[in-house]
Amino acid sequence: MSPFGASTRIPIVMILAASMDSNSSGGVVSAVERLRRGDLNALSELMRPYQHRLYRFLLRLSQDPVLADDLFQQTWLRVIEKIRQFDARRNFDAWLFSVARNLTIDHLRRRRDSSLDAPDDSGMVPSDRLRSSGSDPLEQLMDFERGERLATAVAKLPLIHREVLTLRFEEELMLEEISEVIDVPLSTVKSRLSRALENLRVRLERP
Amino acid sequence: MTHEQIRTLLPLAASGSLSREEMRSVEQHARECQDCRRELDVWGSYARGLSHLPQPELPAHLIARTEARILREQERATEKQSSFLLFGGLAALSWLVNFLTWEIAQSITGGKFNLIGLNLVAPVPWFLFSFLICSTSTIAVAVSVKHYRGQGRSL
Repeated sequence: MSPFGASTRIPIVMILAASMDSNSSGGVVSAVERLRRGDLNALSELMRPYQHRLYRFLLRLSQDPVLADDLFQQTWLRVIEKIRQFDARRNFDAWLFSVARNLTIDHLRRRRDSSLDAPDDSGMVPSDRLRSSGSDPLEQLMDFERGERLATAVAKLPLIHREVLTLRFEEELMLEEISEVIDVPLSTVKSRLSRALENLRVRLERP
Repeated sequence: MTHEQIRTLLPLAASGSLSREEMRSVEQHARECQDCRRELDVWGSYARGLSHLPQPELPAHLIARTEARILREQERATEKQSSFLLFGGLAALSWLVNFLTWEIAQSITGGKFNLIGLNLVAPVPWFLFSFLICSTSTIAVAVSVKHYRGQGRSL
């Protein structure tokens, strides 16, 4: 079952409000600073604005609500452990997501013992198949924009594609920040993003 | 840029990931090329769709459970640290007592105390025998403390 299906949705407004509230008041910066000094009360203040985003990111990557829940908790444990190593001049969002991403990848590697950038099943180059698609893409997209089908297709992409898509479109990170999170050069982020979109489109336009 | 080059940039253009200069080239080309304009619209729909995917349900009490787990882990770490200090302290103390006892035993016996043909106050037998006693007693105390703490927690 798709982890996104049949669930109560968190209104996007709530996510944006939580994120804007923390950023506009400088709440995150101050909470990070207090946490670095060992004040554990700052952790709740830090977790609240990130809970929806972080859980969503972990769920997109792991595709398992129970695992995402556990990884969410592990991420904050790791944050406490490593917060002194965090350079305050860096972007906390990128650092937090990179901690979460590394934990997820370590976990998936241990569990599945498989490549995280496994190619899709046909072996064709995505752009080749785009050209061979016969149906009207615009008509189909009216349907895709309703969401569920798109979410299901995203869930079937390899992890390295899912992560760039969610970081770019849901977390709205800049390419430079994505490069920091996934620890690859900017040019790789660009090519991976392009490839992920092509791959997604191929899956959706497949007859 | 050629038509083919522009075409490869369209997914990135729709996701707002091109430089200003690249974006200008794409827009300029799209104004004249109907195919690319249409493609750009399609990629734009994908980008909009991806920005509005159905949102997952947040598990109940996620923050409260995370805080509780952090506290548990911290208690465990503190306990581990204090057990380590206790164990180290006990080991050091038992060796100190052992060394002092050896000095006293040597001065009382004049360095000779034979039992079954073995001089027990000679350094090697004394320390081998002491090693067994010290290790066993330190482990016994550490286990008892741990057990006692466990009982305290369950109450």
